[in-house]
Amino acid sequence: MKLEKPSEIFLPAGALGFAAVPDGSRLYAACMDGQVLEIDPAKDAKPAYVPFADKHTSYATGCALLPDGQTLISAGYDGALIWHDIAAKRSFRRVQAHQFWSWQIALSPDGELVASVTGQYLAGGEKYEPAPESEPSVKIYDTASGDLVQTFSHVPPVHCVTFSPDGQYLAAGNMMGEVRIYDVAGGRQVGGFTTPDFTCWGIIKSAHYIGGIFGLTFAPDGQSILCCGMGPMSDPMAANGKMTWQRWAWRENPPKMLGQIHDGEHGSGLMEAVCFHPDGESFLMAGRQAQGTWNAALFSADDGKLISSVDTKSRVTHAHFTPDGQTLYLAATQGQGKRDPKTKQWQDYGRIHVVPISV
Amino acid sequence: MSDPIKRPGSCTPDEHRLHRRLFLKGLAASGVASVTSFSGLFTNSVFADIAKRAQKNVILLFLTGAPSQFETWDPKPGRPSSGPFGSIPTSIPGVHFSSLMPRCATIAHKLNVVRCMHTKQPEHLQAINLITRGAPDRAGFTRPTLGASVSAAIGQLDIKLPNFILLDPNPEGNEFKGYKASDLAGWLGPQHQPVRLGGTFTQLRRTTDAMTDDSEAREALRTYFSRRYESEHSSRMAAAENAAFEKVKGLMSSADLFDIAKLPEKDRARYGPGTFGLHTLMARQLSEQGAPFVMVANGMPWDNHTFQHEIHQMLVPELDRILHCLVTDLDDRGMLDHTLVIAMGEFGRTPWLNPARGRDHYPNAWSMMMTGCGLKRGVIVGATDEDGVDPDGTSYNEQNLFATIFTALGIDPYAEYDLTNMPTFHRVEDHAETIKDILA
Repeated sequence: MKLEKPSEIFLPAGALGFAAVPDGSRLYAACMDGQVLEIDPAKDAKPAYVPFADKHTSYATGCALLPDGQTLISAGYDGALIWHDIAAKRSFRRVQAHQFWSWQIALSPDGELVASVTGQYLAGGEKYEPAPESEPSVKIYDTASGDLVQTFSHVPPVHCVTFSPDGQYLAAGNMMGEVRIYDVAGGRQVGGFTTPDFTCWGIIKSAHYIGGIFGLTFAPDGQSILCCGMGPMSDPMAANGKMTWQRWAWRENPPKMLGQIHDGEHGSGLMEAVCFHPDGESFLMAGRQAQGTWNAALFSADDGKLISSVDTKSRVTHAHFTPDGQTLYLAATQGQGKRDPKTKQWQDYGRIHVVPISV
Repeated sequence: MSDPIKRPGSCTPDEHRLHRRLFLKGLAASGVASVTSFSGLFTNSVFADIAKRAQKNVILLFLTGAPSQFETWDPKPGRPSSGPFGSIPTSIPGVHFSSLMPRCATIAHKLNVVRCMHTKQPEHLQAINLITRGAPDRAGFTRPTLGASVSAAIGQLDIKLPNFILLDPNPEGNEFKGYKASDLAGWLGPQHQPVRLGGTFTQLRRTTDAMTDDSEAREALRTYFSRRYESEHSSRMAAAENAAFEKVKGLMSSADLFDIAKLPEKDRARYGPGTFGLHTLMARQLSEQGAPFVMVANGMPWDNHTFQHEIHQMLVPELDRILHCLVTDLDDRGMLDHTLVIAMGEFGRTPWLNPARGRDHYPNAWSMMMTGCGLKRGVIVGATDEDGVDPDGTSYNEQNLFATIFTALGIDPYAEYDLTNMPTFHRVEDHAETIKDILA
C-alpha cells in the first residue's frame, strides 16, 4: 500500500475539520475564518467551494455529516454546535455547547450522537497545573433533536474525542496526556490511562505545560486506542518534539502500552490526526513536520512499522479515508503568509490534500 | 548550579520551594549567579516611615518573549489577523480589548494603552535590551536599564532597601537568561545593579521554615560573597556585591525574613496561583515599603511561535487578573498617583499565523500599557490599521517611551550623564519627544 502524490484544493482559510460523502463527490471543511464550506472536488472552475450561510463567530473546528446526507453539524471555537441543512445551505439549529472552545467533535458510528470536548487551560497551581474544569469537558448531543444527552468530567483542556466502533464507548484525551474512556449509555467513566510522553513543562522558557494528545481513535476491534501528538521538547516553543503515536490496551488492568512509533521512522512536529484504514490493517498519522521527511504516514496495524509516507508541506489537522480505502483526504492549513502590502489582500492558506492510495 | 531537569511533571511543588536555610547554604556553597535572597525583608514596620514618605515607584511587569497585541490590547475582530478570541467592550466607550481580558476591560478608564509602538529590533535579546535601556546598542558602551536609571535618579541610597529589584523565579529563559546575567546598570555603576530574586523555580514559598538566626544568615551571605569575589577577581563585580551585601546585611539585621505565607491568603487567591501572580503581589508589597523600581518577569513564556492561542488562553487571563489586582490595589491604597505601572514585552507578534499555529516576532506595530504616576488615565494612544499590520498614523519607539516614563516620574529625560572619559550620553537621546497624550 502506498500513498501517492497528492493533489490540492485551495481554501481561503485553514481547514480544521472535514467530512465527505461516501463517494467523495462532496467534501465539507470547517475553516479558521468561521465558515463551513461545501467543496466540489471535480469542479474545474474556481471557486470549487460554496460557503454555508451561517458561520461560527470564531474558528470552525469540526464538521460531521449525518448518515442521511442531509445534515451537517459543525463546531467552533465559539463553543457552538450548528446544524446545517445541506440542500438549503442554511442552519436550522444552534446550540451553545460550551463556554469555551469546542476543540473537536466526533460522530457516533450510527450517527445518532455527536460528542464535543472543551476546556480552557488556566493556571491552577504554582507550576501552572491546569485548573479544574468550570463546566463538563465532554458533552454528547442527540443529532436528531439537539438535546444534551450526556456529560462527562475531565481535566481541561480536552483536545480530542472519538467513539468506539460499536458506539458503546467514548474516549477523550487532554493536554496532560490523560485519556478517559466513558460508557456512553451508562453515563460513567469506565477506564483511563495517562501517558507522560506527549506533554512537557518547559523551564527553559516557560513555566507551564504544553502539548498533550491531539488525536485518538479506537482500533477496529475496540480493544485498544491509538493516540497521537508530539513528544516533549527542551524548548517548548520550538514545536520540534518527536512525532509520536502510542497504542494502549485500555481494557487491561492496569492499561498497557502496546507499542509506539519506531525509532528511526519519525521526524519532529505535532501530529494531530490518526485514523485506521478501512481494511483495518494499517493506520494513518498526520500533522506538521518541523524536521524530517514526511507529515503523513501509514503504519502497519500489526507491528507498527511505517509503510508509506508523504510530505504535504502543510499542517494536517484531520484525516479521512473513503470507504473503499482508495483515497485519503487531509484537511490542512499553511502559514497565513503576509498580507500583500499593495493590495492588502491575504493569501489562501487552507488546503484539502487528496491522496490516492495504491496497492 | 541546580538539579538536573526532571521528567516533566515528575517533581512536586515542594521540590520547588527552596527552604530558606538551604537557600542560604546554597549561596554559600555554590557559584550561583548574583541571586540574593531578600525574602520578606520588607514587611518590617521599620520601613513604614519610608513607605509613607515614598517618593515615586515603578513596577514593570516585563512580559518577556513578547505577548500578542491581538490577544490583549488591540483585537481585530473579524479580520484574518484576529485569531480565535473575540473582543469585548471596555469601560472606555468605543474601546475594545481582547475577550481574554475581561477584568482589565472594567478598569480601562484607569489604564493607558499605547497601540502604536513601532521599534526596529526583531530579535529577543537585542529587543529586550532596546526596550529596557531605551536606545540601540553602541559598541563599547553599556547603557543602563530603566531600573538602574530610576535607581540613580530617584533611588535612596541611604535606605536599607534595594533601589532596583528584579523578581524572576525562572533561572532560565533563553535569551532573557543572558540579559539577566548582563550588566544592567551600565555606566551608572554596580550600586545600581538590581538585586535579583530567583534561582530555582520559586523561592517564594517558604511557608513553614524554621527561622534561621541572623548570624547564620549573615555568615552564609558573607561566605558567598567572599567566594564570588575570590573566584572572579573583579573589582567591579566585588563592588556590586559589596553594595548588595551592605543592603542585605542591613536589612537582615533589622528585619525578619520574608514569609509569603504570612501574606493575606485573600490577596494570594486574588493574584492567582502562578508564580507571576505571587511575584507581582510581592512587587506590590515592595513598592508599599518604598522600593523605587521593581521589575517582575516570569521566564520567557510569551514567545509563542507555536501553540499561540493554546498558550495565550492561559497567559492572558493570568495577566488580566494580575494587572486588575495590582492597579486596583494601588489605587485603593492611594499609591497609584505615585506608582508607575508598566506592562510590556520587547515587541509584538505577527498579524499572520505561521505554519506551526504560532505568531512570530513583530516590532512593526504593537501595544503596551502604562498607568499611574504622572500619567492621565483612560487614554488609548494611536491605532493600527484594520489588520494590525502597520501603525495608522503616529507611532512611538523606545526613545519616546523612555522620554515619557522619565517625564512622568519627574526626571529630566534629556539630562546629560556625568561621565568621565566617555562620549556624551543623555537619558534619552536625540531629544525624542514624549507621548504627550498620556502625560498628566
